[in-house]
Amino acid sequence: MNYEIVCGIETHIELATKTKIFCGCTTEFGGEPNTHCCPVCTGQPGSLPILNQKVVEYAIKAGLALNCKINTKSHMDRKNYVYPDLPKAYQISQYDEPLCEKGYIELDSGKRIGITRIHIEEDAGKLIHESGLTYIDYNRSGVPLIEIVSEPDISSAEEAKEYAEKLQLIMRYIGISDCKMQEGSMRCDVNLSLRKPGDPRFGVRTEIKNINSLSFIQKAVMAEAERQADILDAGGTVVQQTMRYDEGTNSVTPMRDKENSDDYRYFPDPDILRFCVDDKKVEEIRESLPELPFDKLKRYMNVLGLSEATAKQIFRYRMVAEFFEDTLAEGASVKNTANLIVVTIFSNMDTEEEKELFAIRISAAQFAALVKLADEKKINIGVAQSTLQKMLESGKPVEEFIKPEDLVGISDEALESLCKEAIDANPEAAANVRNGKDKAINVMFGYIMKKTGGKADIRKAEVLLRKLIRQ
Amino acid sequence: MFVSSGDLTAAAVRKGVRIMAISKTEIEKLAKLAKLSFTDEELERFTAEFDEIIAFADTVNQSIEGGTEQIRSVDARMVSFDDLRPDEVVPSLPNDKILSNVEGYNGFFKVERSKK
Ligand SMILES: [Zn+2]
Repeated sequence: MNYEIVCGIETHIELATKTKIFCGCTTEFGGEPNTHCCPVCTGQPGSLPILNQKVVEYAIKAGLALNCKINTKSHMDRKNYVYPDLPKAYQISQYDEPLCEKGYIELDSGKRIGITRIHIEEDAGKLIHESGLTYIDYNRSGVPLIEIVSEPDISSAEEAKEYAEKLQLIMRYIGISDCKMQEGSMRCDVNLSLRKPGDPRFGVRTEIKNINSLSFIQKAVMAEAERQADILDAGGTVVQQTMRYDEGTNSVTPMRDKENSDDYRYFPDPDILRFCVDDKKVEEIRESLPELPFDKLKRYMNVLGLSEATAKQIFRYRMVAEFFEDTLAEGASVKNTANLIVVTIFSNMDTEEEKELFAIRISAAQFAALVKLADEKKINIGVAQSTLQKMLESGKPVEEFIKPEDLVGISDEALESLCKEAIDANPEAAANVRNGKDKAINVMFGYIMKKTGGKADIRKAEVLLRKLIRQ
Repeated sequence: MFVSSGDLTAAAVRKGVRIMAISKTEIEKLAKLAKLSFTDEELERFTAEFDEIIAFADTVNQSIEGGTEQIRSVDARMVSFDDLRPDEVVPSLPNDKILSNVEGYNGFFKVERSKK
């Protein structure tokens, strides 16, 4: 039996603010346990949470980048549940007045995956279970998160992965989070149900919690869809429950039941005032957004003329795109810059993380100096590649490796003036060429080769000479 | 209004209608959510006490035209974006201060094992 996948994704993203959402404690990663804490983020009675402006700004940035409507009035709610990672026994979140609503992400196919809402909330602490005891570190408690909830518009494992990938890229571009799934700064929960094609009703859905890699999202959706299909095919019913994806066995299994814990009894947090962001501020934040990744990709292809494959390799890493554009700003050509990045620089970077970080030892200006030598045909592309490799390894500028006497050619301008010089110096030979004695051109070649020590491009010189002689 | 959840209650609150008495089952459910266990005798006592507290809240509710929902819409105290807290780090408390009221271990809070 064939089924249709109905899937939505909830994504938690840690915001790259300096301080926590409701107190001035640092959000810096690591540190000795419970050293980035104060009465607010450890939930001491009588402490007063005060909302961080940057959190609101970043969440609005995310909303605008995902085509959302921004709610200019918003408030915080308490989500109640008892577990030691939450010192107050409630999480401060948003329930019925989220900051952003009704956006979308467009997939390559043109299909839009709706964004239901984006709200802000605080992260929980970290628990370590060991020999019958639980040890708690509240350094992460109160670190700001946004939760981005999609509509159940996703209908395949590939779409699920593409959605998460695009979301990650957009969030990285606007600089609100590094979105490192392995380190937990981006985590996805996947909701999934099956239905018969054309059936308007939804089937019973399950939720797969805390998936921490893009490829696992795709695999988890496939595994869960197969598991549910097997149940339905056998005439059974899917049980609504929370699942865990195990990458080792590539299987989805139920988590221990949280027994009826879905009753979070939300209510407005009386400690935190309702807040408003006027339209002018929202417009200001919109103006501050950088060019978004998929606009950039289109521009690389349509305006700069890069091939789709090359454009895609460059735009998907924010730092690489910046380096590429900085190099162009120094006057280097699009084609050589792009090719040297993709072929030579990337060959030094094996992992996605390395490309994302793009820690290289030369500046865009130094890189441009090399590219321009290739642009002017003073060095061929092979020499450019090997020289670039040496520059990357040593961090030294191009002059260290290529001396003026190493240049294989001379610039077009220099060659043209040399050709003029050669004609002026040999008026008789030039006249002979003009009158059909073609071999006389060799006199001019001799002159040029002597002057350049044999490094001039002789075919180019011939074209130029003939043009100049005809004039 | 916070203890008895559900749309029905919320609607009743909005209309300023007297909420029906809280039941023992509801107290049991709340205790379970709070991970607390009570004897039957305690449950009976809490049910009666909760009922009194809610009746009091109800009196307040009924004295406001339009119910407690009205309070929020009337409440003009709203903070603007510019008045939110600037994102500037202030020193955290030293670890021994944070742990001064609890039994700690190597800088951690230590509790009995709890697993979801
Ligand atoms: Zn704090």
